[in-house]
Amino acid sequence: MLGHNSQSEYSPFLGIEKGAVLQEARVFNDPQLDARRCSQVITKLLYLLNQGETFTKIEATEVFFAVTKLFQSRDIGLRRMVYLMIKELSPSADEVIIVTSSLMKDMNSRTDMYRANAIRVLCRITDGTLLTQIERYLKQAIVDKNPVVASAALVSGIHILQTNPEIVKRWSNEVQEAVQSRAALVQFHALALLHQIRQNDRLAVSKLVTSLTRGTVRSPLAQCLLIRYTSQVIRESGNNTQTGDRPFYDYLESCLRHKSEMVIFEAARAITELNSVTTRELTPAITVLQLFLSSSKPVLRFAAVRTLNKVAMTHPMAVTNCNIDMESLISDQNRSIATLAITTLLKTGNESSVDRLMKQITNFMSDIADEFKIVVVDAIRSLCLKFPLKYRSLMNFLSNILREEGGFDYKKAIVDSIVILIRDIPDAKESGLLHLCEFIEDCEFTYLSTQILHFLGVEGPKTSDPSKYIRYIYNRVHLENATVRASAVSTLAKFGAAVDSLKPRIFVLLRRCLFDSDDEVRDRATLYLNTLGGDGAVVETDKDVKDFLFGYFDIPLVNLETSLKNYEPSEEPFDINSVPKEVKSQPLAEKKAPGKKPTGLGAPPSGPPSTEDAYERLLSSIPEFANFGKLFKSSPPVELTEAETEYAVNVVKHIFDRHVVFQYNCTNTIPEQLLENVTVIVDASEAEEFSEVLSKPLRSLPYDSPGQTFVAFEKPEGLPTVGKFSNVLKFIVKEVDPSTGEAEDDGVEDEYQLEDLDVVSADYILKVGVSNFRNAWENMDPESERVDEYGLGPRESLAEAVNTVINLLGMQPCEGTEVVPPNSRSHQCLLSGVFIGNVKVLVRLSFGVDGAKDVAMKLAVRSEDESVSDTIHEIVASG
Amino acid sequence: MGLWEAFLNWLRSLFFKQEMELSLIGLQNAGKTSLVNVVATGGYSEDMIPTVGFNMRKVTKGNVTIKLWDLGGQPRFRSMWERYCRAVSAIVYVVDAADPDNLSISRSELHDLLSKPSLSGIPLLVLGNKIDKSGALTKQALTDQMDLTSITDREVCCFMISCKNSTNIDSVIDWLVKHSKSKS
Repeated sequence: MLGHNSQSEYSPFLGIEKGAVLQEARVFNDPQLDARRCSQVITKLLYLLNQGETFTKIEATEVFFAVTKLFQSRDIGLRRMVYLMIKELSPSADEVIIVTSSLMKDMNSRTDMYRANAIRVLCRITDGTLLTQIERYLKQAIVDKNPVVASAALVSGIHILQTNPEIVKRWSNEVQEAVQSRAALVQFHALALLHQIRQNDRLAVSKLVTSLTRGTVRSPLAQCLLIRYTSQVIRESGNNTQTGDRPFYDYLESCLRHKSEMVIFEAARAITELNSVTTRELTPAITVLQLFLSSSKPVLRFAAVRTLNKVAMTHPMAVTNCNIDMESLISDQNRSIATLAITTLLKTGNESSVDRLMKQITNFMSDIADEFKIVVVDAIRSLCLKFPLKYRSLMNFLSNILREEGGFDYKKAIVDSIVILIRDIPDAKESGLLHLCEFIEDCEFTYLSTQILHFLGVEGPKTSDPSKYIRYIYNRVHLENATVRASAVSTLAKFGAAVDSLKPRIFVLLRRCLFDSDDEVRDRATLYLNTLGGDGAVVETDKDVKDFLFGYFDIPLVNLETSLKNYEPSEEPFDINSVPKEVKSQPLAEKKAPGKKPTGLGAPPSGPPSTEDAYERLLSSIPEFANFGKLFKSSPPVELTEAETEYAVNVVKHIFDRHVVFQYNCTNTIPEQLLENVTVIVDASEAEEFSEVLSKPLRSLPYDSPGQTFVAFEKPEGLPTVGKFSNVLKFIVKEVDPSTGEAEDDGVEDEYQLEDLDVVSADYILKVGVSNFRNAWENMDPESERVDEYGLGPRESLAEAVNTVINLLGMQPCEGTEVVPPNSRSHQCLLSGVFIGNVKVLVRLSFGVDGAKDVAMKLAVRSEDESVSDTIHEIVASG
Repeated sequence: MGLWEAFLNWLRSLFFKQEMELSLIGLQNAGKTSLVNVVATGGYSEDMIPTVGFNMRKVTKGNVTIKLWDLGGQPRFRSMWERYCRAVSAIVYVVDAADPDNLSISRSELHDLLSKPSLSGIPLLVLGNKIDKSGALTKQALTDQMDLTSITDREVCCFMISCKNSTNIDSVIDWLVKHSKSKS
């Protein structure tokens, strides 16, 4: 009986081994090929590759060339394995080219299977030059009457589009024809390719959607794609119609009545994700999702409850109708469904149902996986913030699950939640801190222990009885590893600094730490004993020491690392103030306009980190600018000419404390001309507070080699003076003989009008982030706070309004608050920066939007200098 | 391979078709693919595209089935020739007899290839193609310039042919058929 069992589980691949299979592969070289045997060997090779076995370069090459010899066989099954093997081995380009001719022959074969597979392999291995040779065949294949062949060509098109878009774009007509195909697969692939071809052309996508939504798409998969493209068009078109009717909504709604569940679900989800969706629009989608909730198919139940879960975040009222159906899902066999159901209920439930739900959750918490536990914890956190009065039972729940088994991510989610609750619900503070103290008594994660210790150091001293935390903290010094011990020492020091009455006792404890076995722990103890005063008297702690202990670290760690690496040991100590605070922004990968030439030094940013340094080096090398002081900020290049003009000029604004330097990067794009004595004549009549101090001409500007000319202005010290400048490029032009490259002796003076240039307030603010905005904000003098409200009028969207203000101020958004979740009615955005004169500025923006898209904004500013707070308001008021 | 199978193969070779395998190599534009077409169908076409990789053709002449590996002649394929010459019945090397400029390259490629130990002893047939063109070399000149007399470790034969006019194609086929027999 036992033997029978193991027999039935026998795998044909059991115990196969690479060396043996490679030996077997010699059959590929037999003069009399055994097709069946060869197929089996390839199957084994493919199995090995899929199991993660790697072949050495020599092995792979041997196998590849042996496999190519199998092209002599006319066995269809074997040929298919040959195609698979070539794709899977993906040998280097100079080897794989050997099968090109054979594949091209197969691509035009009468056997459909050959055609389809050869197309797929050929497109995988081909390069641009070969592609033009086979393009004709691919075009034919797209409209082939065999759906397998057409699909192969279309899918290949999708891949080739990434590398050779201009070729695939020529296939539009054929692809369009394929969209009308009766075969479901072809229609699906054709639609996907057609959309990709047009994806950068909004109008074309819109036309595509308009024509196809009239109903020629039969394949459910293609229909799903069409729904996605339609929502994209809706998103991008905005709500243009004043009547409130959304374009294409009728189409989405009609899809809710489609016979395929896939399409119904896709349409329902698309509707729920519409920007600022109304209840009227939402209702039919919610109704079909509700039906799915009681479906017999788990996948439908899952899809529906997951979507409703998301809807519940923005429109909890719309989901309440489904509450009864979801309650029955709490006991669903599938734990993923149950978890999503319960967290949705938590979001939509009212205060009275909280206790009942909590009981149900407690029952099944132990049955679900960590990632779903995290979902539950997140839901409970938001519930607690929603109903602060219920904090007691929710906090209890969190502390209970904190004590149970769980992985790092799960424990971290719980700790984070407790920390947030402590911050936002003052009543929960003391009990929350004690829960955390208990947790670190038996915590296996160093990271969490140190985070909690840090948090205790900040929050603990502010409680009614700080002394009761000391025991938990000091226990760490006895029981934990060095990292935790060191942070416990820091926490003790914070208690000592903040609570004067505790100081003598803290000193006793810190002195004991001087005998620790770890260097870092001893160093910290010594440092704190000295900074806190040493003699242990009950005295008030200096402000400096408090700043040192509680102040926040405002230098980006990347910058600090670079500076420390560059520092050479010498008499001069390392100066932390010399570390640049500017956050190096990662420029978004720009879509390069075709044919656009790099114009000048600044135009193609050669990697973000180097530009700033490059500017500083460039300017300091010019003696005229030496007495201007330290460069405060350089703007990104601003184009002063249209693309494709005779002379390409862009300008970089360099801001100094009392000066502004314009660096004009000029490129001469005419081969027959040499420009000499190039200057920019700047008219500053609309910038009254600026006065020109010097202009540095560019002696010679030959064809296609960029050069710079500079103009410097004096301006009032430390003020964000704004102004408008008009520019004229002035030069002597000399004709150049293109054959010899020699210029004529005589030149003609000429001028070239450039676009105007503005110096704006944002030029005077550096983007400097803070790691913890809340701390930074509280550390700023509340006296410096200035609050005012502004109406921004009707806006395209909330996100657009937020972006406009961020760009106007030129400050660094913190904690990801620049991202506005879709469908939100209000948003808070946190900004930080350094104003000229090295004044730190923090800004808190609260946005709200009403039904008519009118955006209102509350602006609160704190800064180290009250006048700067006022200036920020002036900037916003005038912008 | 089982005994029984071996026996069957032997029986097959005795009563039915003979098989032979050939590799067709030479510099690009020497006329390899054209030769395959002439041998297989008798047809000739002026405009051919370069072979990217190889063409595999099976041709039956009399009771002999010939497997032809027609390999691309561009430099990037030359390093791979050897892999397709191992264990063939004969190597056919095609030379453009009307292109004296490339003869020295052709010669060194040939001698490089023959120096590979895996190919020792395999008979070589050198074909001087395009004798229809004016200025084409004679057989003697080709033998000298290709330094064929220095090859002593194998059977070497040389024919002057024209794929365009089907000159001497018959003698080539005869030579090949004869070698399929001698091989088995």
